[in-house]
Amino acid sequence: MDIAPILAALKRQKTAAALIAIEIALSCAIICNVLFLITHRLERSHVPSGVAEDELVYIRTAGIGASGEDDPMVRAKEDLGALSSLPGVKSATIVNQIPFGHSSWNTGVKLAPDQQHTSANVGAYYADEHLLDTFGLKLIAGRGFLPDEFLNFEDVLKGKVDPPSAVIITKTMATRLFGNEDAIGKSIYLDDTKPTRVVGIVEHLVRPNFGSDLIDADTSMLLPVRLSLGYGQFVLRTDPANRDALIAAAKKKLKSVSPNRIVLSADKLSDTRSKYFKQDRVMAGLLIAVVVSLLIVTALGIVGLASFWVQRRRRQIGIRRALGATRAQILHYFQTENFLIVTVGIALGMLGAYAISGWLMQQYELPRLPFFYLPIGALALWALGQLAVLAPALRAASVPPATATRTV
Amino acid sequence: MLKMTHLSKSFRTEVVETYALRDFSIHVRPGEFVAVTGPSGSGKTTFLNIAGLLETSTGGTYELDGEDVSKLGDDARSRIRNGKIGFIFQAFNLIPDLNVYDNVDVPLRYRRMPGAERKKRIGEVLERVGLSARMRHYPAELSGGQQQRVAIARALAGSPKLLLADEPTGNLDSQMARAVMQLLEDIHRDGATIVMVTHDPELAARAQRNVHVIDGQVVDLGEAPTLRMNAQAMG
Repeated sequence: MDIAPILAALKRQKTAAALIAIEIALSCAIICNVLFLITHRLERSHVPSGVAEDELVYIRTAGIGASGEDDPMVRAKEDLGALSSLPGVKSATIVNQIPFGHSSWNTGVKLAPDQQHTSANVGAYYADEHLLDTFGLKLIAGRGFLPDEFLNFEDVLKGKVDPPSAVIITKTMATRLFGNEDAIGKSIYLDDTKPTRVVGIVEHLVRPNFGSDLIDADTSMLLPVRLSLGYGQFVLRTDPANRDALIAAAKKKLKSVSPNRIVLSADKLSDTRSKYFKQDRVMAGLLIAVVVSLLIVTALGIVGLASFWVQRRRRQIGIRRALGATRAQILHYFQTENFLIVTVGIALGMLGAYAISGWLMQQYELPRLPFFYLPIGALALWALGQLAVLAPALRAASVPPATATRTV
Repeated sequence: MLKMTHLSKSFRTEVVETYALRDFSIHVRPGEFVAVTGPSGSGKTTFLNIAGLLETSTGGTYELDGEDVSKLGDDARSRIRNGKIGFIFQAFNLIPDLNVYDNVDVPLRYRRMPGAERKKRIGEVLERVGLSARMRHYPAELSGGQQQRVAIARALAGSPKLLLADEPTGNLDSQMARAVMQLLEDIHRDGATIVMVTHDPELAARAQRNVHVIDGQVVDLGEAPTLRMNAQAMG
């Protein structure tokens, strides 16, 4: 199909063509970004936690009345021992935070003591000797903590001890800090005094909360610090089918050990994850509704204009048929015309998409719209345009050539 | 060139069948200039539509340039319209969104003629109708006579075997009408076969032969030499 005469004719229909092109441009700009946001939200909700989510339950408690009479470190050990003895418990630990638990402990790490700014902000899990097994973390390099590397949290709290001598970090954190170099044996600095040596690398360990940056989400480390009661929560590992029963049994057990406390929360980690991403799922659903609505409105706009043009140019179509145009040529005329208008809209829309992306980056710290969303948006709108124009174009193709000699 | 034999065209409703053409036979020889006349509703336009393959007949046969075209499909009819027939309409039927050049170009593009050939032909036919200087003008910027000359140029551009004119001067004042008729006569003198539908006896008289149609039937084939001479004398 020759486009020159179609362009020539469109020049005489600038306003209507421009309105549709602008509608397409807006749709393209919004759809590209919204598709990106949807994908980003869904990607976020599939972030690997690194832990055995389906086997973990956790319990948070708080004491009632006067405290301080008992050693909180001893109390924690007693409680952990009691919980470990429950039927079905494979392993138990006390930890300062849990994946997707929102409440988080974070710290900045440096690669040199005199470094002015930290190299990364890291989620810090305080781990006892049971944490690796209880969480089900996959150690991909190095080793676990040695017994003499553990510190007591109460001592850390009072500033009695140096920073931990050993740390286990995630692969993501290792890559962020050391690039392609082997991180095992390298040192990081938690303060400006003593180095902490990387002794192990786990595949993943997600932070309790994180933003849109999935690299940041997996930037975590384990420090060998045994927690005291009041600062930790109990995490128990069991068979998935036993989790509900174990939660009930654990609550009962903790009360029997010490009635002067309340259970703040107890849940399965898989449910906590599901709740954590609920907003993302709702948002993705809303955004999908926005895209569908926008596509429908755009399609209706195209159908409306194309139908109007077919009606208005009915006689002209008859003339073209009389001059020898086949039905297919008339059909292709309208399809090509639509393709040209949509293409102009897409070209403008791509610029708009990057403008919106820039604004979203500034306002919501989102990453830049990846380039490949533009052809996806373009293809979607080209397909939509052709679909929307098909019925009016078929009506145009059915205009009989004798229309040219009628209504004189 | 054009031979219709016992042609009929009827429109059927649930209760009645109406004939626009009935037992319609006509033979136009190559190089003839034939006027088809008749009152309104006599079937002139239906004849023109069938002759121009814009409509199909419901009975009889129609041969164009030696080929039976009465049973052809839509695409084949389109190709023959494009290749063998040139149309000149009463309302000019130019495409308002295209300039003079592009209007003349329309049927040539449907023929998929190479660009250089199209350009050459458009230049020639516009020269012939005296509108070379206005090829970038739009129809709305031209007088009625000029628009009809563009339409004639468009009809001639494809070098058709048959020119069909439907009241070609019906929308023109007398001065412009004379100029357009003169142009048609010149084209005929150069060898074109022209069939012109008109209800204007004065115009019809300038054709070689008048075929009179009433109620969808040919009542006078205009074959008598005296009548033709008289008609030419009237012109």
